[in-house]
Amino acid sequence: MKNASEKIVFTGSGIVCGAGAQVNDIWDVLESGETAVGPYSQWDGENWPVKVAAEVKENNRTLVPDRKLHKTISRTDMFGIYAAEQAIENSGVLAHRDGLDEAEQDGYNDRTGLVVGSGGGNYTSNYDYLPLITEAKGELHEFGKELSNQVTPMWLLKNLPNNVLCHVGIRGQLKGTNACITNQCASGIMAVAESASAIWNGEADRIVAAGHDAPFEPEMVYYYHKLGLMSGEAPKPFDKERSGTVFGEGAAAVVLEREEEAKARGAEILGEFLGFGCCTEATGILDLSPDGNGVQRAIEQALDDAELSPSDIGMICAHGNGTPASDLTESIGIREVFGEGIPPVTGFKWAYGHLIGASGIADLVMTLEALKREVLPGIGTLNEVDPDMGDFPVARTAVKPTSRNALVICRGFGGMNVVVVVRV
Amino acid sequence: MAFKEKRRIAVTGIGLVTPVGNSTEETWAALRAGKSGADQIASFDASGFSTTIGAEVKNFDREEAVPDKKLLKYASRSHAFALAAAAEALADAGVAPTPEDSHRWGLTVGAGMMSVAYDDLKVIHDYATDENGYFDADGMLKPDFPGNPVNFCRWQSNAGLGLLAKQFGIRGYATSVHTACASGGQAIGSALKAMRRGQCDRMLAGGFDSMLNPIGISGFCLLGALSTDNDNPEGASRPFDKSRNGFVLGEGAGFLVLEDWEKAKERGANIYAELAGDGNSLSAYRITDSPPDGNGPIQAIQQALGDAGVTVDEIDYINAHGTSTQMNDRSECAAMKAVFPDRIHDSIRVSSTKSCMGHLIAAAGAVEAAVCCLSIRDSIAPLNANHAETDPDCDVNLVLGEAKPGRIRAALSNSLGFGGSNSSLVFRNPEEVSV
Repeated sequence: MKNASEKIVFTGSGIVCGAGAQVNDIWDVLESGETAVGPYSQWDGENWPVKVAAEVKENNRTLVPDRKLHKTISRTDMFGIYAAEQAIENSGVLAHRDGLDEAEQDGYNDRTGLVVGSGGGNYTSNYDYLPLITEAKGELHEFGKELSNQVTPMWLLKNLPNNVLCHVGIRGQLKGTNACITNQCASGIMAVAESASAIWNGEADRIVAAGHDAPFEPEMVYYYHKLGLMSGEAPKPFDKERSGTVFGEGAAAVVLEREEEAKARGAEILGEFLGFGCCTEATGILDLSPDGNGVQRAIEQALDDAELSPSDIGMICAHGNGTPASDLTESIGIREVFGEGIPPVTGFKWAYGHLIGASGIADLVMTLEALKREVLPGIGTLNEVDPDMGDFPVARTAVKPTSRNALVICRGFGGMNVVVVVRV
Repeated sequence: MAFKEKRRIAVTGIGLVTPVGNSTEETWAALRAGKSGADQIASFDASGFSTTIGAEVKNFDREEAVPDKKLLKYASRSHAFALAAAAEALADAGVAPTPEDSHRWGLTVGAGMMSVAYDDLKVIHDYATDENGYFDADGMLKPDFPGNPVNFCRWQSNAGLGLLAKQFGIRGYATSVHTACASGGQAIGSALKAMRRGQCDRMLAGGFDSMLNPIGISGFCLLGALSTDNDNPEGASRPFDKSRNGFVLGEGAGFLVLEDWEKAKERGANIYAELAGDGNSLSAYRITDSPPDGNGPIQAIQQALGDAGVTVDEIDYINAHGTSTQMNDRSECAAMKAVFPDRIHDSIRVSSTKSCMGHLIAAAGAVEAAVCCLSIRDSIAPLNANHAETDPDCDVNLVLGEAKPGRIRAALSNSLGFGGSNSSLVFRNPEEVSV
């Protein structure tokens, strides 16, 4: 049974995305109403139908100074390691451990978990094989023979989906319960939900939850565009004129622990995890249920889990990816739960693009900041709310959350819907 | 978040597609007989690779296994294995989601690495590279570029999850994990936790993978992780043997149907075993190397025993991870010896069924969990095949020569992954369950 006195709190967060590499910097972008989506530099987009993205601008070595480590990680891993270690540092959990007796440190490590939501991989890493295909003139026999002369022996290690789990674990000696979730968009937010569950279940005393992804690459842009999911400009979630999403990239992380322990070591508490819901619409890979039932059920599960009623919720950070079908069905699902009492709604993808596997956890980190500041930033690209959504309370400008409780909604391929409830 | 007090979970269905059989019983018969599924790779020209052998799934008819043509179009080779194994597991359990209870059904999968088929990569090569083979993005914009969104959907990290949910109408909690070789075990452990916390009443849990393709095998060849006994495929995977020299890559899928114990009893279901405990740790040692002293796997095993409420004296069979690499085998044996010092040398039967099936990577833990359930059902421990001389560091009570009969009160399945994730599961004989 969930022990009502055993609260789970967030004691550290970390984030990097196209809008910055610190919560405060990203907040400034959200408040300014100016999107970080713009022309990209990773390849020449002149001939491409999509010419914008929200790229991370920080130098690789600024994010992860260890030069040697870069030989065994990919771009997405670099984001994940940065965000996870920023969260660890801000929480002070490992600094606290280092002050313990040596004997106690081993036990502490075994009770410190790490759960990572990973984008799962990317296309460009496979391009390391392209020169080999040329060399082999398309013949598999030659491909096999020349393999080790053309491709780095580290190739597989560099591209393991669970690399962030591995490296953050080794670097921090986090040895407790762990998982690497590869559930497309839902990966990062599920890492947070599974972490809280594991602490409640007594599997660990504290867990670092991270999510990372680097979806912005040519093949992804090509297919998202071909599938009609991509906009040529910064997304306009819930707008009448919305036409699709735009990729961002980056990572976010939080440290979760029992409130009692956080207080005992004098940690700053960023907020509280109250509950979550998770379900699939069983609609296959891309399709969405037109009645928003997955969104509705995930919200209902999350409220039930948090032992709250709809009227307790003071703001919603929506998935709001800017695609016509997702935004509409999301608004329907929200209305099914809240009726005429929908709290203020916002979403952040207009500002830092769609981080896919990291999107939900990045939204969670910024939602904690919004609750702390008691400011719900508006959607800077919004002109006119889609009339098909009825009277849907999403605003262009900032409003005040109506309570300290927020919902974060995350949707993904596979008909996934995950909702987390937090309080500050 | 309402946690039920250690809700009891039953395994009531099993489905397998493996290199030694395309069904549960076929696989199980082969494992008891110690029949190898390894051979020269037949599905593509592997003759130039340093390793030309693998344990492929054979005679698998996609169309027959997955009748829904539209769904099949989106299914990769490993997805088709998964759909087939899951269908067998549900049929075996004699229960399936209905519109009334589909929201109480969950799904957890250990999915293989999101990799790309060689043929798809060849398309990129032929359209979007310069004369030296370096990628040139604009090539994708050529009007005749045959890029197919269906292929793209297939390679999304949770595509298998989406297809399974749709095929069987599962609408509750759903997640996909990838901790390399520990994926399948972690997926089943995640399912156990979701059921214990009351999120689902029934679940389909398992793993699927197929890296037996040019790109998949390349990564392992480059690392030097595979056995190069190309002239002796059947004997190449020899876990714990002194002369072992790497693993044999396999492919396949394994699924379990998990059910609330009371609900299973109520409907008179056949219960293979209780999924009694899960343990989960991170070695935090090195990426591919295993800790020589077993630090990491030890904690996972101990947690699983503690979680199950099973003592070290009650485990009668261990299905070892036993990849047939020197480092893994030694690390795992060190862990088993540390946890079971008094019984591991002569009374607990230990075998690695990778000796027959090869290494199914993300599916391994799920398939091997099923093997534990079948061992309990039939009171027999399957063979650790291909054994000549035991590595002195691996002096555990291996099942050699033939399968060893004998009642199994509880069985342990270990899965130790690249990246350091360790998963241990404990299954209890249903006769040992006192309710």
